[in-house]
Amino acid sequence: MRLVTITLLGGLMLAGGTPVVAGDPAAGRKIANMCRTCHGVDGFAAIPIAPHIGGEPKEYLEAQLMAFKTGARQHEMMSVVAGGLSAQQIADVSAWYANHRVVATLPQGVSAEQAPAACVSCHGADGISVLLDAPNLAGEVNIYIDTQLKAFRSGKRQHDIMSAISADLSNEEIRALAEWYANVGLEILPAE
Amino acid sequence: MTYKSCIAGLLLGTMLAGPTLAQDNMEKLSNMQKTDATFTFVDQDGDRAAALTNILEHINVPDGFEISLYAVVPDARSMSMAPQGTVLFAGTRKDKVWSIVDRDRNRVADEVKDFAPSVTFDIPNGPCFSPDGFLYIAERNRILVFPAAEFFFESPDIAVGAVVPQGELIPEEEESFNHSARVCDIGPDGKLYVSLGQPHNVQPVDKIALYDEIGIGGIIRMNTDGSEREVYTRGVRNSVGQDFNPATGELWWTDNQVDGMGDDIPPGELNRQTEAGQHFGFPWTNSRVEIVSESDAPRPEGVSFVEPQLELTAHAADLGMRFYHDSSYPEAYHGGIFWAQHGSWNRTEPVGARVMFTAIDPETGDAVGAEVFADGWLDEDTGEYRGRPMDIEFLPDGSMLVSDDFAGAIWRIAYVGMAAQ
Repeated sequence: MRLVTITLLGGLMLAGGTPVVAGDPAAGRKIANMCRTCHGVDGFAAIPIAPHIGGEPKEYLEAQLMAFKTGARQHEMMSVVAGGLSAQQIADVSAWYANHRVVATLPQGVSAEQAPAACVSCHGADGISVLLDAPNLAGEVNIYIDTQLKAFRSGKRQHDIMSAISADLSNEEIRALAEWYANVGLEILPAE
Repeated sequence: MTYKSCIAGLLLGTMLAGPTLAQDNMEKLSNMQKTDATFTFVDQDGDRAAALTNILEHINVPDGFEISLYAVVPDARSMSMAPQGTVLFAGTRKDKVWSIVDRDRNRVADEVKDFAPSVTFDIPNGPCFSPDGFLYIAERNRILVFPAAEFFFESPDIAVGAVVPQGELIPEEEESFNHSARVCDIGPDGKLYVSLGQPHNVQPVDKIALYDEIGIGGIIRMNTDGSEREVYTRGVRNSVGQDFNPATGELWWTDNQVDGMGDDIPPGELNRQTEAGQHFGFPWTNSRVEIVSESDAPRPEGVSFVEPQLELTAHAADLGMRFYHDSSYPEAYHGGIFWAQHGSWNRTEPVGARVMFTAIDPETGDAVGAEVFADGWLDEDTGEYRGRPMDIEFLPDGSMLVSDDFAGAIWRIAYVGMAAQ
C-alpha cells in the first residue's frame, strides 16, 4: 500500500516540478565540453566521484543543475560549474545528455526480485529510473550512491522521498543498497 | 505504522534475504577467523594492456629515459612500495586496494589482484608503509593497519586493525566524496601523517574554526596506535601529495587551489614545512591571491602565513610527490622532487597531465623551479586526456612508477643512458 503512495507522490512532483525549458541537444553537445573530463561526453563518467548522466531524464538533470545553480544543492565542483550556466544552457546540456540510450544488465545469477524493495518503484530493479524526477543508479560507483544516501540522511541533501527513506538506514544498509546498483552493468549508447 | 518505519521494514527485510548484504568482516579478521572472500585478478595481457601500450608513443620523456607500461591497474591512485621491494600497493577512490607483483623481476608486473578482499573499503586512496613493514591505509573516515602486509597479502583473510576507527577521522556530517582521497606517510619521528582535504571549494566562514581545530584542510599526525593526534599543518585546501625530505626530515606537500576565479588564478602550490603547526594561509589566501577577506573572517592571531615554495600552473592539479633518493637517474635529479599533475577539470584550455620535477638548492634547501619531466597524456589538439598521472613511487632499481587513474595504468620511466656520440 505504501509503495503506491510513493508512486503517487512521484507523479505529483512531475506535475508540479520545475518549469521545463525546451533544450537543443546539438547546442548542449558544445556545452558538454565543460562536463566531459568528469562525466564523459556521452555521460559515462570518467572519474569515480562523478555519476553517469547519459540517458538520464532531462527533467532530472535540469532540476539538479538548477539546484546547483541556486545553491539548493551544493557540491564543491558542480556549484562552480552550474553557477556560470544560463537556464537555456542548462536545458540544452540536459537535453544532450538525456538524448542517449541506456542498457542495464543485472549481474549473472541475480534476479530482479532480489532488488531492494524501497528503491525499485522509482529507480527500477536494474537502476534505470521509472520517473522523470529520479536518477538512474545503474553502474554508479558504490561510494557515490553511499555518499548521496548519507547526504540525504544527514540533511545535507533534501528530497521529500529520499530524506524519509534514508533517515533510519545504518551505514551497513546504505552500503548494501549501493552495492546492488553498483553491480549492475551499464552501457550508454547514442540515441537512435 | 508510520510511512517511514514501513519503508525501513521493507528495506531491511529485502536486504537480509538478498545476497548483497555487505558483511563487515573486521571483527572476524581481528580474531584471525576465516571469511569467504576471494580475489579479483586483473588481466595483464589482454586488449586493455594493448590499448594502454598504444598510448606510449604519445608520451615525451627526456633524452636517455624510456617509458613503458608496468601494470594494468584500474583506478590506480596513491602508491606505496613495500620495504623489501617485492610488492607495490595502489589505492583507489572506489573500494579496492591493489597489490602489484613483478615476480620475475623483468620490470613488468605479472600479477595484479585486490588486497584484503575480506575488508569493506571506503575510498582507500592512501597506502603508506612504515619502515618495519606495517601497511597503513587512509580511507575517507578510517585508518587501517595491516601488519607484515608484504608477506601476508597472498591470503584474502589478513590480520587488520583500526588505527582510527570508522567515523572518528572526521565528523560524519563532514564526509564527502570529493576531496576525500587521503594520503599518508610515516615521518622520521615514527608518527603517522595524514592529509585531510576540506570538502568545499572554499569552506563557509562558519566552518573555519571547526575545521582548524580538527585539521580538516590540514595535515594531522598521530602515533601509529592513533594516540596523541594533533594538527601538524594548518591552512591547506586539499593536499593529495606529501613526502619527507630524506636529507632534512622536513615535510613537503602539494596543494590544489580554488576553482571559479578564472583560468589563470590562483596558482597551484608546492609547500615546504619546517616546523609543526605552521599555517599556509587557506582559506584567506592561496599563495598571494586573497580568497576570504579579513572583513568576512578575521585571520588567526599570532601566525604569519607561510608562502609556497613554488607557484604552479593554475588548475593543473598537483597531486602525488616523492623525493628522488635512488641513484639510477642522472645526478641532476638526486635529492629533487618529482610530482604528478593530474590535469585540469574545468579550465577553458586543459593543462597538466604530466610529471614535473624541481631540484632542491643544497644551500638553502628551497625548491629551485618547476620543469616538465614527462608529458603527452593530454591530447593538445582535442583537449582530451589519454591518461592522468596521479602519484609517483620508485622501484628498488631507482626507476619511477607513475600511477594513472584515468587510463587505469601504472607507467614506468627508467633511465637507459645516452646513446654514444
